[in-house]
Amino acid sequence: MATTTKRHDWADDEDVDEVSTDLPPPQTLTNKDGTKTIISYRYNDEGQKVKTTRRVRYITHTEKVNPRVAERKAWGKFGDSARDPAGPAPDTTTVGENIIFRPSVNWRKDQKEEDKDPNAQAMKDKLKDKKVKCRICNGEHFTARCPYKDTMAPADEAAAAAADLAGGMGDEPAAPAAGGVGAKKGSYVPPALRGDRAGTAAGERLGSKFGERDDLATLRVTNVSEMAEEQELRDMFERFGRVTRVFLAKDRETGLAKGFAFISFADREDAVKACNKMDGFGFKHLILRVEFAKKAA
Amino acid sequence: MRPVLLAGHERALTQIRYNLDGDLIFSTAKDQHICAWYAHNGERLGTYHGHVGAIWTVDVDPTSTMIASGSADNTMRLWDVKTGKNLKTWEFPTAVKRVEFNEDGTKLLGVTEKRMGYLSNIVVVDINPDVNAEQSDEKILTIVCDESKATVAGWSYLSKFIIAGHEDGSVSQYDAKNGDLLYNVSVHELNTPVTDLQWSNDRTYFITASKDKTAKLITAKDLEVLKTYVSDTPLNSAAITPKKDFVILGGGQAAMDVTTTSARQGKFEARFYHKIFEDEIGRVRGHFGPLNTVAADPTGKGYASGGEDGYVRVHMFDKGYFDFMYEVERDRQNRL
Repeated sequence: MATTTKRHDWADDEDVDEVSTDLPPPQTLTNKDGTKTIISYRYNDEGQKVKTTRRVRYITHTEKVNPRVAERKAWGKFGDSARDPAGPAPDTTTVGENIIFRPSVNWRKDQKEEDKDPNAQAMKDKLKDKKVKCRICNGEHFTARCPYKDTMAPADEAAAAAADLAGGMGDEPAAPAAGGVGAKKGSYVPPALRGDRAGTAAGERLGSKFGERDDLATLRVTNVSEMAEEQELRDMFERFGRVTRVFLAKDRETGLAKGFAFISFADREDAVKACNKMDGFGFKHLILRVEFAKKAA
Repeated sequence: MRPVLLAGHERALTQIRYNLDGDLIFSTAKDQHICAWYAHNGERLGTYHGHVGAIWTVDVDPTSTMIASGSADNTMRLWDVKTGKNLKTWEFPTAVKRVEFNEDGTKLLGVTEKRMGYLSNIVVVDINPDVNAEQSDEKILTIVCDESKATVAGWSYLSKFIIAGHEDGSVSQYDAKNGDLLYNVSVHELNTPVTDLQWSNDRTYFITASKDKTAKLITAKDLEVLKTYVSDTPLNSAAITPKKDFVILGGGQAAMDVTTTSARQGKFEARFYHKIFEDEIGRVRGHFGPLNTVAADPTGKGYASGGEDGYVRVHMFDKGYFDFMYEVERDRQNRL
């Protein structure tokens, strides 16, 4: 049995010719944990001195092979590779990206289920002829592109949900089917169907933009002066309780307020108080009008 | 696992072979040279020049001293593995589509194409295992395939039979001594060519791949179909893995249809099936063209695949591959 040790790798070679005399010599320190620290100096393209510190662990990998195999490893190269140095030549040999390959009994079954998943297929079919619908004005564009998005509150949530149902997502036979969609791994589930939506009250859906605004503790303030600042509004409303969010609509170009704002309170009680007190309040030569962003339904 | 990509060819791969010790890989493509590679790191040992046409096939003898190749330039050539020297050239009237050494490396068969009025032949020549010896010109056996042309062929155990796969989807067994046709069995669908034939370690059974989207495990002795592996794409190649009871299938839609579909739909993946249970247990993606050839490392450590994209990808299996067992297999192991 013959043994072969790992050949010297060309990638470990240092560029010797770039080291000039006024650079400190490279240092090699042996660490306690068996690794080596190599500190080398060089000049970069802009003439700056660069210090490179590398920690390297050398592992000698010994492999016992058949003597015939060992002999073949020492063969000289020929043909197109005759002039290649020892070791893999980078122009012919590269290492590919990592591939995870785990044989599994259920591989095919999983795949089949995914293909056959009736919900996914049904959803695709239904979405095929579904048109984009704005939640604010019901026009044929995305809500974000709505020309009224800054001046109108979204259409009634309940109505929107009904529209969704009509649009086709909701007419699954029963609520558990929707839950089943959420549970299926790997396939895309629209945010609206994630979790047990059927049993969720409007107030429990956090995170979504409209969900928060339509929370029962949000006030709509209109007839706000052009000169108003968010901080001023916050100061005014903070008197009634903790304010979680202040939104003052501003013109993108001029930076002036557009005349309306939304104030969200942490507590609905405070919001009610604020609504009563601030409606009709004079603020910068205009009289504010304060109402709930959404009528309590 | 991180595959090693071998970019030694400019055109579509046609065949990959490991040598018996599993340390060298030979690859042929439609460009006109053969490449030899070290299997452990993908370093190219050398190239073999001399053919003046697309090379269809390569095989290495059991001692890894000589390789044989067949080409569209109507020649079959013998090469010295170590130096890349062309040792012998046999001329034929048509292209050579398949070559294979017998178990002890003393005989070599070649399959010639049916073209220009010539029928497809299986030709056998004697090989002198000494590299420096003069090789004989004489064809010791010629089998004429007059019914349907042979696409692949190989030597069974003890060089007893020559097994050939045909264009019409049938497999035949010939006596290797006198060339008599012993059996002809239609195993694949009618008129779906058998695209590959690879042997088990002991050459008592073999696997065939066909354009009818199935691969079959067949005994050499009486051509009994033991197992059928059904896939969803035309197959170009199939290999039996040593150590683990798996088979690897390679295929994908025909090269001419590739541009019209996405890589995902093209099904350019190596498929692993359990040899006994016939279930598909996984796929390895990576190529961006159909797989023309797959080869299993005789030591069982890895496999290589060559695609229409011109790359050879050499894979070394992870632990998960070796640990995989069916429940019944595990039970049996625990009882022993």
